[in-house]
Amino acid sequence: MDDLTFRRTVYADPFTQDKEVIQAAQDDPKKQAFWEEVKEMESAIEQAMNIPVPDNLSEKLLLKQSIGQEKKEQKRKRWVYGMAASVAVTAMLSFSYMRYGTSISATALTHIDHADYEVANYGPVDLQTVNAKLVNFNGHLENGLDNMLSANFCYLNTVKSLHIIVQGKEGLLSLFILPQDVTDPIDAQFSNEELSGVSFLLESTRLLVVGENEEEINSLAESAKQLLSFSA
Amino acid sequence: MKTKQLKYEALVKAYHADIYRYAVWLIKDTSIAEDVVQETFLRAWKSLDALQDEGAAKSWLITILRRENARRFERKQFDLVDIDDVSVADPRATDNGNASQRELRRAIGQLGEEYREPLFLQVIMGYSGEEIATQLDLNINTVMTRLFRARSQLKEFMTKTTHLGAKING
Repeated sequence: MDDLTFRRTVYADPFTQDKEVIQAAQDDPKKQAFWEEVKEMESAIEQAMNIPVPDNLSEKLLLKQSIGQEKKEQKRKRWVYGMAASVAVTAMLSFSYMRYGTSISATALTHIDHADYEVANYGPVDLQTVNAKLVNFNGHLENGLDNMLSANFCYLNTVKSLHIIVQGKEGLLSLFILPQDVTDPIDAQFSNEELSGVSFLLESTRLLVVGENEEEINSLAESAKQLLSFSA
Repeated sequence: MKTKQLKYEALVKAYHADIYRYAVWLIKDTSIAEDVVQETFLRAWKSLDALQDEGAAKSWLITILRRENARRFERKQFDLVDIDDVSVADPRATDNGNASQRELRRAIGQLGEEYREPLFLQVIMGYSGEEIATQLDLNINTVMTRLFRARSQLKEFMTKTTHLGAKING
């Protein structure tokens, strides 16, 4: 083995097990001496490279991981709670929908939210117009109801009704006239947090009166009974 | 989870020192090195399930470390400092060791990264030429040449400083 190859090999790997290198060193004391020198240098290099490690590094690493993990778990918990909460809300909503969703009276109560819009966009209304619309229900209004603001066809669920809005002393009052063929059971009295309503049959036509004040509701219901008439 | 925790603790205990040293020699700044080691082990924790063969743990950690180090440059591309100018916090300035060891550390620090990295893998990590080639994705001949050049340069450097020292002393 020539000198250069020998040097290259032991420099590249001072602890080489290459048989040719070992043989060459045995045959040539100069090569052996060079190799010894390289090994000595190697030990110095190793010591130099083996720099001190901060005492608490492993503890720091473990701590950082466990803190990170804790945060992650907290986040995950929050996420789980969030999910649980939204599932609960969805369940509640579906439940109330199932319970009230198909009820005409509940729809009537929610429909009142649109009353202002109807009044603003479709009012005012006169007796003639109301009667023209009442024809669809085979109905007739004798005299105008007090403070009649608007009369519109409105859908309560899938039922086309006539929605007459009247200005009451405390807010708006609504009278819904439903077609005669409506057979859905409707409670005689119903309410939510803000509004309440009554439902009754006039001849064979079902009427709903909804408002904020019970006294006014009853008063409008009485007026409706007196002034409205339906032919079969 | 418990098993993962134990696996991680074992990993930290077995390799944190060598990974830290690798980081210091790679980065040449002990505090940045420590940060990168933290990042390395956090990432290791996150993907610990990917480590199936415990024999591959060291090489796996080195790969993560090198990637994290590269990421550091991507992040800090606008406020890069020339690392060779930052000599205060580097291992060459450490108080540990005697004068000749400090000299040698300085010499190793001045080696090009392409020489220093395979040298570290061989000397401290105990890697064979083939293992270094695999780790650094290099040809085995390239690795052996770089190892040879690394030691030649160190030898040259040490000879110079010895002569210089002799001259000053003489």
